Amino acid sequence: MDPECSQLLPALCAVLADPRQPMADDTCLEKLLDWFKTITEAGSSLLLLQENPCLVELLCHMLKPQDLSSRVLSFSLRLTGVLAAQEDCFQYLQQGELLPKLFGEAGPLGGAAWTSPAVRSGWIQGLRSLAQHASALHFLAHCGAVDTIFSLQEDSSLFVASAAGQLLVHILGLSMQGPAGGPPSLQAGDWPACAQKIVGHIEESLRATATPQITQALNVLTTTFGHCHNPWTQVLWVQLSPLVAGLLEKDPIPAAHSLVDLLLSVARSPGLSSSSCGLWETLAQTLSHLSPTQAGPLALGILKLQDCPQALRAQAFAVLLQPLACVFKAMAQDPGPSGVPDGTVGGSMTAGVPLPSKAACVGLLCRSLAHLELLLPLPQRPCPWPQAPLLGAAVTLLQLCGGSARPACDMGRHLCTLLLGCVRVQRAALDFLGALSDGTGPRELVTQVFAVLLEYLRSPDSSPTVLKKAFQATFRWLLNSPKTPGCWDLDPHALLFLRDLLPVLQKRLCSPCWEVRDSSLEFLTQMTRHWGGQAGFRHALLASEVPKLTEQLLRDPESYVRASAVTAMGQLSSQGLCVPPAGPEHQGGQQKSLLVELLHILSTDSEGFPRRAVMQVFTQWLRDSHADVAGDTEQFVAGVLQVASQDLDWEVRAQGLELALVFLEQTLGQPRSHCPHAVTPPVEAPVGPLAQALQPLCRVRLFDFAFRALFDCDRPVAQKSCDLLLFLRAQTASSSSLQESRSSPDVASVEAALQRWQAGDQAQPLGDLEPEVVLAVVRSLDLEGLRGALAESSDHVEKSPQSLLQDMLATVGVLGENEADCY
Amino acid sequence: MPEIRVTPLGAGQDVGRSCILVSIAGKNVMLDCGMHMGFNDDRRFPDFSYITRNGRLTDFLDCVIISHFHLDHCGALPYFSEMVGYDGPIYMTHPTQAICPILLEDYRKIAVDKKGEANFFTSQMIKDCMKKVVAVHLHQTVQVDDELEIKAYYAGHVLGAAMFQIKVGSESVVYTGDYNMTPDRHLGAAWIDKCRPNLLITESTYATTIRDSKRCRERDFLKKVHEAVEHGGKVLIPVFALGRAQELCILLETFWERMNLKAPIYFSTGLTEKANHYYKLFITWTNQKIRKTFVQRNMFEFKHIKAFDRAFADNPGPMVVFATPGMLHAGQSLQIFRKWAGNEKNMVIMPGYCVQGTVGHKILSGQRKLEMEGRQVLEVKMQVEYMSFSAHADAKGIMQLVGQAEPESVLLVHGEAKKMEFLKQKIEQEFRVNCYMPANGETVTLPTSPSIPVGISLGLLKREMAQGLLPDAKKPRLLHGTLIMKDSNFRLVSSEQALKELGLAEHQLRFTCRVHLHDPRKEQETAMRVYSHLKSVLKDHCVQHLPDGSVTVESILIQAAAHSEDPGTKVLLVSWTYQDEELGSYLTSLLKKGLPQAPS
Repeated sequence: MDPECSQLLPALCAVLADPRQPMADDTCLEKLLDWFKTITEAGSSLLLLQENPCLVELLCHMLKPQDLSSRVLSFSLRLTGVLAAQEDCFQYLQQGELLPKLFGEAGPLGGAAWTSPAVRSGWIQGLRSLAQHASALHFLAHCGAVDTIFSLQEDSSLFVASAAGQLLVHILGLSMQGPAGGPPSLQAGDWPACAQKIVGHIEESLRATATPQITQALNVLTTTFGHCHNPWTQVLWVQLSPLVAGLLEKDPIPAAHSLVDLLLSVARSPGLSSSSCGLWETLAQTLSHLSPTQAGPLALGILKLQDCPQALRAQAFAVLLQPLACVFKAMAQDPGPSGVPDGTVGGSMTAGVPLPSKAACVGLLCRSLAHLELLLPLPQRPCPWPQAPLLGAAVTLLQLCGGSARPACDMGRHLCTLLLGCVRVQRAALDFLGALSDGTGPRELVTQVFAVLLEYLRSPDSSPTVLKKAFQATFRWLLNSPKTPGCWDLDPHALLFLRDLLPVLQKRLCSPCWEVRDSSLEFLTQMTRHWGGQAGFRHALLASEVPKLTEQLLRDPESYVRASAVTAMGQLSSQGLCVPPAGPEHQGGQQKSLLVELLHILSTDSEGFPRRAVMQVFTQWLRDSHADVAGDTEQFVAGVLQVASQDLDWEVRAQGLELALVFLEQTLGQPRSHCPHAVTPPVEAPVGPLAQALQPLCRVRLFDFAFRALFDCDRPVAQKSCDLLLFLRAQTASSSSLQESRSSPDVASVEAALQRWQAGDQAQPLGDLEPEVVLAVVRSLDLEGLRGALAESSDHVEKSPQSLLQDMLATVGVLGENEADCY
Repeated sequence: MPEIRVTPLGAGQDVGRSCILVSIAGKNVMLDCGMHMGFNDDRRFPDFSYITRNGRLTDFLDCVIISHFHLDHCGALPYFSEMVGYDGPIYMTHPTQAICPILLEDYRKIAVDKKGEANFFTSQMIKDCMKKVVAVHLHQTVQVDDELEIKAYYAGHVLGAAMFQIKVGSESVVYTGDYNMTPDRHLGAAWIDKCRPNLLITESTYATTIRDSKRCRERDFLKKVHEAVEHGGKVLIPVFALGRAQELCILLETFWERMNLKAPIYFSTGLTEKANHYYKLFITWTNQKIRKTFVQRNMFEFKHIKAFDRAFADNPGPMVVFATPGMLHAGQSLQIFRKWAGNEKNMVIMPGYCVQGTVGHKILSGQRKLEMEGRQVLEVKMQVEYMSFSAHADAKGIMQLVGQAEPESVLLVHGEAKKMEFLKQKIEQEFRVNCYMPANGETVTLPTSPSIPVGISLGLLKREMAQGLLPDAKKPRLLHGTLIMKDSNFRLVSSEQALKELGLAEHQLRFTCRVHLHDPRKEQETAMRVYSHLKSVLKDHCVQHLPDGSVTVESILIQAAAHSEDPGTKVLLVSWTYQDEELGSYLTSLLKKGLPQAPS
């Protein structure tokens, strides 16, 4: 602890001990505790207490009967635990009987303060920190803490109850480490008394009739098997598994969710040999006993296991497929063109439980789709994977929700009534359909996929979120549509689809809903990025109104849309897909180029998003030597930097520096390392005199911007500038021809200007800079030091412990009106 | 037993970050999804692990409702939807939907800029999150699904702030968010109808305070700004982009106009321009005075307030600058503060709350020597003023709202425990209702008695009407019918209609009884004797002797048979339907007494 903090600490402890001084900000005590944790992790807690006796005084003060703030009491309990985590400090606090007084019956436990959940939580967290050594275990056993923890498992506060469970797990693990750290006995009867007591409590809870008690026991076991993989856990499971299995005989099964978590935690535990413990049988039994809703997560968990009997995997997969199988069954007599497979492919889709009420039906279908989606990318997914029936199911569901399904039987009609217009199922099915694009499917089915996607994209009833997901799924299907070998263009079917799609996209670009316009533009950008160079796509796109509409959206009233339009236009332009306006009003006149339009947005748009999007487009254009840029790169860069350097949005200024860096790399002919902080070895200066190479950079006033940005009030801008100048210095390190300029009057005036800027006076411009002056200034600056300072978050001073202590002390007595204020 | 459960994950006995889970009739709703500005790590967000343990978020939660755009009510939303994984609907009012992303973006920029946080939500995440929002109008009943509906009411507080009624069937909860029961310069007072919810969840920031008139604070503010400017000083007002800034702008604009002042007033960023744009756009959400004067002059078209350029800070002479952020912890406001702090003529007015660690907090607590980066010490000579303009209902206002809504129970959130305790007692005494104040993580469970609506068929009603007097609302009447549940609806219909609708056949239930008679005659003769006896006794009933020898009285059938063991005894089998239960019982008892002696 530094001397300043040591000096402030006694006063702060006095304030904390004074019940008349409320703490204004409830985060202060949390931050104070964080600080003590840092100190004790780095050094001796005992030394801390000995050097700062005020801390023990504060803790002793908590024992006096008084009207203490529950927050301060909770803090003190937690602090005690943090300090007593080190055994010597624990002994020191024990000598003064402080620990039993704070954590025993005599402490807050027996007082009125115990009614506050904050105090109970502090008590548990204190013990959790403290329980790190054998002495602590002994203490816990003797002060009766374990019984209190048992009762706190049923606390009215979720946070307290959960923390109590976690603490039990921790104590069980600690007690099983044994007093000498040796391996514990594998006979449960020989386990330490504390461990036996906890296991006994768990057994008792598992036998209880009240669901909350069973839930707590199951949660404690789940955490135990999840965190501890020692051999004793296997003994524990062998002992408890009959009780767990006994839960399956109850109707309804209590705490089904926790039971599933436990069984999966046991199955995943490397310390347990699943076959010897009868776990597979229990899992199979559980799968068949649980309701479809409860069994879903278990089935998914089983299928994610690395090694598991094939029969159990088949059973689990059948559970996941069951809701979709019901859909198949309902639609089986459908004679229409969208007829789906019979649902028995591979024997995995068997009709089962009838779909009940709407809420249950929707919930079950969504869960099933989500579980299958999670399973899809995993290497251990079932094989063979019923791709075609699943595709069929997703399509059918979408048709049912969209109203295009024509069920022939009553059950199908019933399902249709339940699902019609159901956004939840639509969202889940579209996500699932998108995920299925990674596999193949029969041509006829793929045609149906595109048809249903088009139906959703067209439908006026599709909500913005559904439309967004339809666009995403469409893109994924187009991306994975079969390709002609050696050709990256879309296949003929996809091109046909594209012809239908573009008029829909046109319509969506004109939607009154900004979310729809924006999602459409994002979709267009993705498509152009992938197929912008392909003849088929280009032809279809240019024949449509899409580029023109996109251009119009540069002036959209919604800034998100303007930004997306900028990105889309940038992409279209890069691929040569921008169509100049052809209306009569443009004939004869000077056509406004996209570059001018984007520059206009950069200088005038009142929102940051479009301006940032413009900077990204410009940087990409510069990298790709875009035709509009390549003509007069210097003029382009100068114009952009001039505007970007004045921007009020620091992200635009930072992107301006990124563009400057690209220009610098291109000018000096050396690509930058991808990591800005990587050590770049000095390289030979480019061919020709260095001064000449730097001239264009000076002409575009790049250094004026970079030097000014070094002292920008926004840290990332200064960091970016620092990186840029360090790069320049590394690139030119080998050139010594300009060293003599260091003492010229120009250099002195620049350095003086920089000092003024650092002091906050930004008014004076630098004027024209010569390359020699620039290099001399760059070499004289302590850029490494500056980079180091900037790497720290800029509020590190305010975040310092000294600042915290000062703030807490300064608040005393001035609370007044601020006390209860908020936003 | 149906119940309503409420668990605050934030705002339970604190004002840090509002996030309240409500379970009502099997539906789960999250009310607000706020962020605590005082933390720099994950503690700033509510602990969502208590929801994710119930399975997938989107499956568990039916919807999220955001009451208003303040970050302590919506700041965790992009984190929740784009990083934790909630994919369901989010409801808020139109102005909140428009303004929320501005504040989130503002905060993101500060977090990334100042604190260098990389693991924070991005602009794209904010946008993707906002695309999941469904905007609602005031007093519009929105169906979240077939059963769950929500309705927004005006809450004052800030532009677009709303109270929400959440209703499933006949059970309902009202969540106030933050509200203000007294109109101010730009917003009206909160209002709700007498909706009599099962539970009213109300904020209680000023649970024990009776706030003085806001006019006094406004006068004080103007006086201070005016004095500083008159003495040639510069006045810095750090604000967040929206809310207070607009309120103070209206104040200054009107004052400048009235006093004909010339000192320039600036806004430091474009954000506030957009804010003003929204205030113009959502003029209907502002108070009556602003709406009325809108025709002649839009209050938000400021004549005296201009956009700020960074170079202006060095201009000589007095000026007033509104700069973001509001706690002086980064960016423009801090930069201007550093320039002006050394001059005692200058003034900084903090119009809102500042968290610990910020320069705003330090100067408000009286610190005058601030350590800045690089061990530089900044001496603060400028005048520091604090003015609370926060617009919450005070104790009187909260009581007024409770009286207005007439809830069955009240639950207090967004306040300090001690003050809540006081208000809780007051509410319980005055309104004779239960009042709760759970801490974060504590669940309050309220049993409810849902009233289940039952429809009655017209045919049954007509039949009942034909039989008796006209229905009287005050007198309960007995009605016979069959209750059927079809498509989750209950209906009372006649049994014939029930059979028809349900496609069922009627089954006859008959009671039977055996009566032993001492009679050595043949069965037919015994039957004849029974017939004669009943015919003479039951003169008002139709008694028949059928060709097969059996006797009937209405629906009652009597057959005589020989006793298998005793030829001197005959067994009478009597059976009847439940409609003739009374007659059947009477007849049986009659026969048990025996037959009259036949004339020999």
